[in-house]
Amino acid sequence: MRQSTLTHPARLNVQAALPLLRLPDPKQHTRIVLASLAIGLIASYTAVALGWLPLWAATAMVLIVLTPAGALKWRDDYHRYGATIMGLSILLTAQGLHTVEHLVQWAQYNLLYWTMRQSNGLLSPANAEWVHFTWNWLVLITVVLLMIGGMRGGWMWVLLTVALFHTIEHSYTFIRYQMILRELTAMDVLNVTAQGLPGIVGRDGWLARSEWTRGTWICTIPGLTTAVRLDVHFWWNILEMTPLLLAGHFYLRGQAAAGRFE
Amino acid sequence: MKISQPHPILRWHWLVAHLLVVSVGLAGCGAERAPASTAPVERPTVAVEVVATSFQPPRECSGAFVAHRLDFTTGTRLRAISTYISNGAGVAANDLDNDGDLDLVFASVDREAEIFWNDGSLVFTSQTLDDRFGRGVAIVDVDADGWNDIVFTHRGLDGVSFWRNQGGESARSSPPAPRPSFALHPLPGVDSYAYAMAWGDVDGDGDLDLVTGSYGVELLQHGIDLPAADPRAGVVLHLQQEGSWQAHVLDREAETLSIAIADLTGDGQSEIWVANDFALNDKVWQRNGATWDIVQLFDQTSHSTMTTEWGDLDNNGGLTLFTTDMNPYDISPHTLAAWVPMMNQIEEHRAADDPQVMANVLQVRDGAGRWQNQATRRGIDASGWSWGARYGDLDQDGLLDLYVVNGMIAADMFGHLPNGELVEQNQAYRNRGDGAFDRAPQWQLGSTASGRGMVMADMDNDGDLDIVVNNLRGFAQLFENQLCHGASLQVDLAWPGSANRAGVGAQLTLSTDQGVLRRDVRASGGYLSGDAARVHFGLPADAALRALEIVWPDGATSTIMTPSNNARLIVTRSDE
Repeated sequence: MRQSTLTHPARLNVQAALPLLRLPDPKQHTRIVLASLAIGLIASYTAVALGWLPLWAATAMVLIVLTPAGALKWRDDYHRYGATIMGLSILLTAQGLHTVEHLVQWAQYNLLYWTMRQSNGLLSPANAEWVHFTWNWLVLITVVLLMIGGMRGGWMWVLLTVALFHTIEHSYTFIRYQMILRELTAMDVLNVTAQGLPGIVGRDGWLARSEWTRGTWICTIPGLTTAVRLDVHFWWNILEMTPLLLAGHFYLRGQAAAGRFE
Repeated sequence: MKISQPHPILRWHWLVAHLLVVSVGLAGCGAERAPASTAPVERPTVAVEVVATSFQPPRECSGAFVAHRLDFTTGTRLRAISTYISNGAGVAANDLDNDGDLDLVFASVDREAEIFWNDGSLVFTSQTLDDRFGRGVAIVDVDADGWNDIVFTHRGLDGVSFWRNQGGESARSSPPAPRPSFALHPLPGVDSYAYAMAWGDVDGDGDLDLVTGSYGVELLQHGIDLPAADPRAGVVLHLQQEGSWQAHVLDREAETLSIAIADLTGDGQSEIWVANDFALNDKVWQRNGATWDIVQLFDQTSHSTMTTEWGDLDNNGGLTLFTTDMNPYDISPHTLAAWVPMMNQIEEHRAADDPQVMANVLQVRDGAGRWQNQATRRGIDASGWSWGARYGDLDQDGLLDLYVVNGMIAADMFGHLPNGELVEQNQAYRNRGDGAFDRAPQWQLGSTASGRGMVMADMDNDGDLDIVVNNLRGFAQLFENQLCHGASLQVDLAWPGSANRAGVGAQLTLSTDQGVLRRDVRASGGYLSGDAARVHFGLPADAALRALEIVWPDGATSTIMTPSNNARLIVTRSDE
């Protein structure tokens, strides 16, 4: 009689294999987080339905209601795992929401065919040059601090590089924004915004329109010199989010193996 | 009236040049009588007689263009320019008095039109023509009597006006009138609103047809609440049948700024290419027997298309098509600040599969025959708030260059700028020969006047192309070509007995030892402007000419072997 040996694959322990999934867990603050979320959503939905608030204000209200619960969760992360993992937790949450915002903008523009001006995501007032400028500097500083705090490795260097160039891009657009505002002020035009103009890359950006690249193949590199600003920044964030997730994954796996992330 | 810079060339030089006129068969000047010798099998050949005249020597060779002020303005009688007066008017060049010189006609949005009789050597005599509130203008022999007539389109609710050249009567009068006069005549069957127009033999029956397009937003301004429902509005094809025209509505919707009649597909038949402003797509109609079908040729087009222009940029026998749009030519904060308030006002159009981009577009056919936009790749996608654009071999190196006039005046759009004017420098682009263009500031064509209609023609008979611009709220300008590069061959076709006497629509192919050049005979083109039927081939100075092949509008061909360089040929078709 032939016998066969059946081996059962070991049950995949997702939490162990992907420690990153454990990081957003609010643990003992779950109830307060869920309650905050429910209150925020109900209040914002009601306000939008009744016409009391625009969508962006309702979105901001949800985020504000969630902030205390988030602060409790991150304080808990600090006490359990230390400053670096707390920083990673904050960065993942912030960049995650930021990516959702860019995803919504991308969908508005490319799927719903809204105009560039309408495709402002959920938080339209946040789609401002100074917000982008400040945000990206904060992200860059946070990445540097995480590296100082011990979170290193190849993906972290990739993230640092992307974050650096993204910050340079937004610094360029911010400086040009200020220069254009100054020109507009000189023309006594005070009620006009100059938001959303192209930066270094993308269609009509510096790379596509500088005199030394004009009429060369550089001007038509798909995406890099042809994409509209909205698409450019969607991809900037995808490029930034991907190494962040990978770097976080490998870092937390190492921490878990060392017993510092249970 | 004289232009601002007088010049020393004496009239007898031109007379001497005329003494050099040879009839065909005289070998000395290189002009040859050459009955068509070789032609495609399926095309009949027709004999031609060729007369050659020499060019005048250039007045000066400064290595640049020299701007002359012409004593004509449009838009200056209005207190303020608002949309769509801001769109200005056109200019046409052609020979009105059969003296061999190209004359000019300017249309005006706020006053009468003006004829500038070319007395030679850049001396002009102006004459008012009582045609008011014009937009487009063309000089074309509508009634085929051997004298070029003048046709205008208009702003508002006026349609086409036809000013018949009474040159024949003037010449027979006693004493003979010094210049032809013009009388307003109806064009039977032509009653549509007309902003833009194009003349050509679209049905291949040997006479000149007319395509007109209305401008919907302007009709709205003039009380037509639903332009698409108005029977006089839209894109209308007027097919000529022995002196009267039968209207065929191609499209009820029209925001037409420019129309071209050209063989875009290379199948030997002309297409009708209509450029629309705003979100309304540009369209191309192709003849299918007795009907006209819309064909989708382009994956990408300009959004607010102001000009249609076509020509063989690469000397490969194929056409490249160019359209202009609004796109700042530099991205400096100073330039963008002038544009930003207006850009925040205008409505952005978004739709699935919308082929429109707010930029100049250069359509080039790839190996599979598909049109691809290469304007960015070739460096000509952004030339400011661009109106008229024309190809022309300005430096006579055998390659078509590009000139674009631009600028905008509209108090309701640019109230933040002095006088409501977006001041921009016209853009000249030199064809490098490798497909791309270099900006050519050395040509000194960067006028900051607000150009609208524009033509290229040899106004001083020295062989090279000069440029004439109808500026809004500024004096018209003539840019005299003093580059003194290369050589040229100019060709006037004559088709006696035909209803298309200048051979509008004919295709000319010049074979040289340095490549093959193709040009078309046109009556209208660019933005609101009328082309001289005279064809210009720029050539490197050492180019040897092998043959000039003419494909007449009816498909018949003529070939002239080894035509002379640096000469103007009058090629007369003989069907006997």
